[in-house]
Amino acid sequence: MRKILSQIIYQLKKDKSSYISFGIIVLVTAFMLNCAATLLLQVDKAYDKKFENLHTASVNVCIPKFQDNAELSKAITEMDGVTKVESHEAILAEVVVKKFQDADFSMNTMFYNLDAKRCLNCFEIKAESEKTYDNPIYISLYVAEFGEFSLGEEIVYVIEGTEYRFTVAGIIEEMQYGNYGSGLMCTYLPEEEYLCLYNELENSLMMEYSLSLNENAELDKIKNDISSICEEKGVTVVSNLDSVSVKGTRTMVCNLLILLLVSFAMIILIVSVFLSNFRVKNAIESEIVNMSVLKALGYTSGQIVASITLPYTMVTVLFALLGVVLSYAALPVLSQVLTIQSGFSFTINFDVRSLLCAVIVLSGVVTLFTFVSAKKIKKIQPIDGLRGNTSSKLNRKNYFPLESTKGNTQFLLIMKQIFACKKQNVLLFLVSFVLTVLIAFSCTLFYNVVVEPDNFMSALSEETPDVIITPKEGYTEELEEILKGDSSVESTLKYTTGSIKIGDSIVTTFVCEDFSGVKNDVCYMGKNPENADEIALGSALWENYKIGDMVTVSLGEKEKHFKVTGFVQSVNFQGEICELSLQGYMSLCGDVQTPSIYVYLKDTADAEKFTESYKKDYQAMLSDTVNSQKLQKEAQDMYMGITVVLVALIFTVTILIVLFILYIIIKSLLVKRKQELGIYKSMGYTSSQLIAQTIGVFMPVSVIAILLSSAASLFYMPCIYQFVFEAIGVMKNNMEVSFGFLLLFAVVQIIVNIIISVILCMPIRKISAYSLMKE
Amino acid sequence: MTSKKETIISAKALKKSFLTADTEQTIFENLDLDIYKGDFTVIMGSSGAGKSTLMYSLSGMDRPTSGEVYFNGKNITTLSDDKLAVFRRKNCGFVFQQIYLLDKMSLMDNVLTAGVLCENNKKNTVKRAEELFELVNIPEITRKKFPSQVSGGEAQRAGIVRAVINNPEVVFADEPTGALNSNNSTAVLDVFTKLHQEGQSIIMVTHDKKTALRGNRVLYVRDGKIFGECSLGTFTKEDRHRETLLNNFLTEMGW
Repeated sequence: MRKILSQIIYQLKKDKSSYISFGIIVLVTAFMLNCAATLLLQVDKAYDKKFENLHTASVNVCIPKFQDNAELSKAITEMDGVTKVESHEAILAEVVVKKFQDADFSMNTMFYNLDAKRCLNCFEIKAESEKTYDNPIYISLYVAEFGEFSLGEEIVYVIEGTEYRFTVAGIIEEMQYGNYGSGLMCTYLPEEEYLCLYNELENSLMMEYSLSLNENAELDKIKNDISSICEEKGVTVVSNLDSVSVKGTRTMVCNLLILLLVSFAMIILIVSVFLSNFRVKNAIESEIVNMSVLKALGYTSGQIVASITLPYTMVTVLFALLGVVLSYAALPVLSQVLTIQSGFSFTINFDVRSLLCAVIVLSGVVTLFTFVSAKKIKKIQPIDGLRGNTSSKLNRKNYFPLESTKGNTQFLLIMKQIFACKKQNVLLFLVSFVLTVLIAFSCTLFYNVVVEPDNFMSALSEETPDVIITPKEGYTEELEEILKGDSSVESTLKYTTGSIKIGDSIVTTFVCEDFSGVKNDVCYMGKNPENADEIALGSALWENYKIGDMVTVSLGEKEKHFKVTGFVQSVNFQGEICELSLQGYMSLCGDVQTPSIYVYLKDTADAEKFTESYKKDYQAMLSDTVNSQKLQKEAQDMYMGITVVLVALIFTVTILIVLFILYIIIKSLLVKRKQELGIYKSMGYTSSQLIAQTIGVFMPVSVIAILLSSAASLFYMPCIYQFVFEAIGVMKNNMEVSFGFLLLFAVVQIIVNIIISVILCMPIRKISAYSLMKE
Repeated sequence: MTSKKETIISAKALKKSFLTADTEQTIFENLDLDIYKGDFTVIMGSSGAGKSTLMYSLSGMDRPTSGEVYFNGKNITTLSDDKLAVFRRKNCGFVFQQIYLLDKMSLMDNVLTAGVLCENNKKNTVKRAEELFELVNIPEITRKKFPSQVSGGEAQRAGIVRAVINNPEVVFADEPTGALNSNNSTAVLDVFTKLHQEGQSIIMVTHDKKTALRGNRVLYVRDGKIFGECSLGTFTKEDRHRETLLNNFLTEMGW
């Protein structure tokens, strides 16, 4: 071992900078892997732990309070698999929160009595003001973090056209509903304020049944049974949410982040493997004499292979550990970002399992591949190595013989080199190709979020009008006439949402008078409903039905059959949505509660001015007016900000990796070609010619790989984005792959590569022909 | 007799020193030397005397620490690296002990790689290369082989072809037969003699008397200066007088 150790130290000392460059690439990979592994191992567990600690129910069913009765309560309590049932009184309202990130934010909110005793669905007060306020309110962590509300700040809820002003007295954390994706938010009011609201919103009073289940209970069956019981007793189920769906929604971004981190880490790991392979092959070629001398002295092939392989293992282990340590500096920031999205807070702890996973995976893969490459040494006989008669030298082909090949000699010399280093160039081609995938991914994201934001937003949102007007009862037609006569209005649509029952599931339905007029068509298969007997179903119902099937839909007592015309997508509501035409919905409920009017403005119109003027001029007719454009813009700006940071991060990481790769390649080339460059210099070749020649050997391969990968991404990138979006429930996305942008990013990448290469090749200038030859 | 000859290289107050472990090691200092056109100058001296260093300083391959080297009257010590490279391609040809052929290229491509630097017409370069290969007796089939596939003598003769492909003013040869066996050495030296007879100026570093006999002027480097010089006259085979002359000179120099 001592003998090998001296050789390992020699290898490490000889090429310190290349090993450090390789180590930094390993560090980045370990950083990403550890982040992903830690999140994977801890977030889920933290979620479940909090879920348990707060005694969160597995199923929460919401029914109108006036329909609640003892018989129903008994039936639910006696269901198989149910261990505990607790009922909570609540007020459910579709509210608009003012100044939610400086915009109006619409969401369904459950108002609970803060002082009511509860054993299930408990909450934790994360922050509470010491001061006493008029109209205090305890908002959820999601609303506080995402909406940017802090303690003592005023928060305005608009419910059925009336503004309710509260002061944030506390921030609570609960695991019951949690974020926008679940379709419901929790808010708690002290008893006095709760009763005030209770008295004003009698029609919105709900009874929530929270169910704890035993381990063997099937969630879906329980939900279906509850629906059946309610149906039997003529009770309308307003909401029927299970903990698994809610968890899926709340941890969606985290899972997506893990997926991206693992994908990127794998790409960089492949690059690291390519690099170690390249370096080992070069080392064997340039160190063949030394290795042969060692063999002649009596060192075994195994010892020499170990002296080549182990430095990589050591560097990988060391830098992987550093990467893991660094990742613990970034993980609190990541957890903070994830807290905003998921609405639950968690602390990242040191995890020896993720550390071992990152270090063992990286060092194992690198060691395996370097070992396989270094095994070639075993085949070299010492005398052949000393004489330089290796098989690669003896079986050489003379590519582009200068005497018979037409063309510029400098060009032919480069071509000779390229073909003489085929394996190296194949390696470089693959590395450049793979890295361009990262660039193409970020480029496409940048294009669709920053340049063409509608493409991205349409995938994440539902219908996106400029202004949403909710008329007071009886004013719909009159307002429509006014809007038609308004020169700034392009078009209007009657649009509303409601809940219906399909089979045993309660489904949110989007109702529109004419879906051909919507701006964001969420139908990804088939077509939107046009007639009164047509329905388009959400992606969650995709497996149970096909286009053309008849579906039984019920609302309260009424039941009707609808023909499935297509499937629609939604990031929210776990895909449990559907679309109905206005006539179709009316045929179920008799009379639609006053639908909103979605207003689409002309490009020249100002949505803010429009909203304000309608609020002022038609106050008597309006229940509410929301500047939806502003809301979308706010969300768009947030996504843009995140995307720009993400793209910049990916681009910087990629360029850094490219820098290190080029450094390692050029360093290896210069070491390998040092004598050759000296010979060229002695012949009279200038440094500039030799720099151009050196860059010319690998740059065309890299450029071709970048261009081909960029061109290929036109075909594979939509598939990657389809995969990513499908993971969050978006079956159809409008993400465009812009050839122009890809080309622009490719050109920037090429220019950066060339600049880096020229800088790295500069040492050629400083070395005299004589000293090169003496080496 | 030498005074009538045209000076091709002139070194003035040449100094070359190296820094080794913070100590300056002077190889030669205040060295003046003239090299004449058409001469076959041989530089001899004991190991480590600075023969090769002197030759590479004269050729522009290495930069002297101080002093000037005039090549055809032009001071080459002040030239930039790139200008020096252009100067070398036009005026100097190099033959090395280790041969230093580009191992990824055939013998012919090695020669053409140098040849195309000065001649734009590749056909002319190929034609001249073929003539030179004939001159050094390397058959066509061997020219297409890689350096690792031919004998040391063949590789060195190809090295000579590469050195003279651009009709350089001076061919600099550093121990060209140092790594060759007796037969190959003779074949290589015959090429040098042939070139010299055709008027080629040659500067050769050697520590081999037999090789030195090919030259017409022998310089002996010792203690960092030209310790002595000897004129041998034109080379002819089996010339006992020249051999005696050289032996006496070397004995006098302390060889």
